[in-house]
Amino acid sequence: MATVALGATTYVSFAADELAFANQIEARQSFMHVYRFNLGLLGAMAKGDAPYSAEQASAAANNLLAASKMSNGAMWPAGSDMGAEGYAGVTWAKPEIWSTYPKIGEKGAALTEALEAMAAGAGNGLDALRSNMGGVADGCKGCHEPFRAEND
Amino acid sequence: MLVAGLVVAGVLACAFFVLTMARSSREPLPEHSANFANGELLFWAGGCASCHAAADAEDSDLLILSGGRSLNTPFGVFRSPNISPDPNFGIGGWSMLDFVNAMVKGVSPDKRHYYPAFPYPNYQNIEIDDLLDLKAYLNTLPPSSNEVAGHSLQFPYSLRRGIGLWKWRYLARSRSDRTNEASEQIERGRYLVRGPGHCGACHTARDQFGGEITERLLAGAESLEFGEGNDASSAGRIPNITPHAEGIGGWSESDIAYALETGFDPDFDSFGGSMVEVQENMARLPAEDRAAIAAYLKSIPAISSEAH
Repeated sequence: MATVALGATTYVSFAADELAFANQIEARQSFMHVYRFNLGLLGAMAKGDAPYSAEQASAAANNLLAASKMSNGAMWPAGSDMGAEGYAGVTWAKPEIWSTYPKIGEKGAALTEALEAMAAGAGNGLDALRSNMGGVADGCKGCHEPFRAEND
Repeated sequence: MLVAGLVVAGVLACAFFVLTMARSSREPLPEHSANFANGELLFWAGGCASCHAAADAEDSDLLILSGGRSLNTPFGVFRSPNISPDPNFGIGGWSMLDFVNAMVKGVSPDKRHYYPAFPYPNYQNIEIDDLLDLKAYLNTLPPSSNEVAGHSLQFPYSLRRGIGLWKWRYLARSRSDRTNEASEQIERGRYLVRGPGHCGACHTARDQFGGEITERLLAGAESLEFGEGNDASSAGRIPNITPHAEGIGGWSESDIAYALETGFDPDFDSFGGSMVEVQENMARLPAEDRAAIAAYLKSIPAISSEAH
């Protein structure tokens, strides 16, 4: 069973490597992982799973803010959506990203705004950190709701 | 011979006519004094605004149930009706019994079947007192005179009468009765998930006629909502939310409750797609209801995701 599963995984990544935009897709998925990692540090404190540290909270919040200001348009070439041939199961990016452009830019700006507030507040105590989590969640969902298909 | 053939055809036509009749209940409703706060809770638990408010509605606009949202599916395009209390364009003229028949039997006041895109197979599990509170609450919302076009469905789904046969086959099996074997908390969670929350409407796979496959309860499904590509390539896959390793077996009860409250999963990815609206509805429930949903989801059979 394990061999079968491993074989399937290998096949998928091999197929993905053959795609014209494999590199861009890997880059943007890694970029999202950097968000999740830093948000997880803040979230663990917000949930009470980790002790609050002003220094670590500020560092994570500033990383998130810096990430949201990175220019990443080159990671999203037209034609790298889930409906393009070969991309099903590799990316869940919906074609609406490109067809409604520049709407996604407005969503990105809203995320940066929420992260400005988080970066300003995260070091000022657990309550300030917690009160900014909702805004950051709205920032993430701002793109994930219209532009990312459900996937399991 | 010809006579015999005509007789058989006649019998079949009569059988079809009788089997596909829209049956509503005429049983009198119990005495009830409305609890509006409970009605509001049911409104959010049931996700009414997610189909019946305008697509981009936020905050107080979520209370304007003007309808008109389209759901592009393999069966065609469904358009959600106006269920605001407007007496002409909405459901303001409905009696309590009309409302109960719609929610439980899937039958309109003029005795037509509703398509199960309206999740009455799930809503039939809502307690009668809760339905009466919900209607009383809906009556307090702003009226809208938005006139919604009908559905645009492909043949044979366009034959509304066929839903009568569908109901014979599928409606009873979607019933979720109390077991009395589980804790009060799990029973509350079962009620919210299987009744108003209608989680299975997306998370349970359907067969070729659109009926939920009960053996695959909440184990994930192909999304039936097409995106811009207008076919399955633009629809996603709804996650398995059973306790299986391929589902959310790795999530604790507090992870589930936290995700429903904030929209962040345990890896701090945010919810996306249609789950965003669902989560934002769930965030308006009391914390103990989110905890009950979490407890129920941890108690159900772990089922593997269907082969992709």
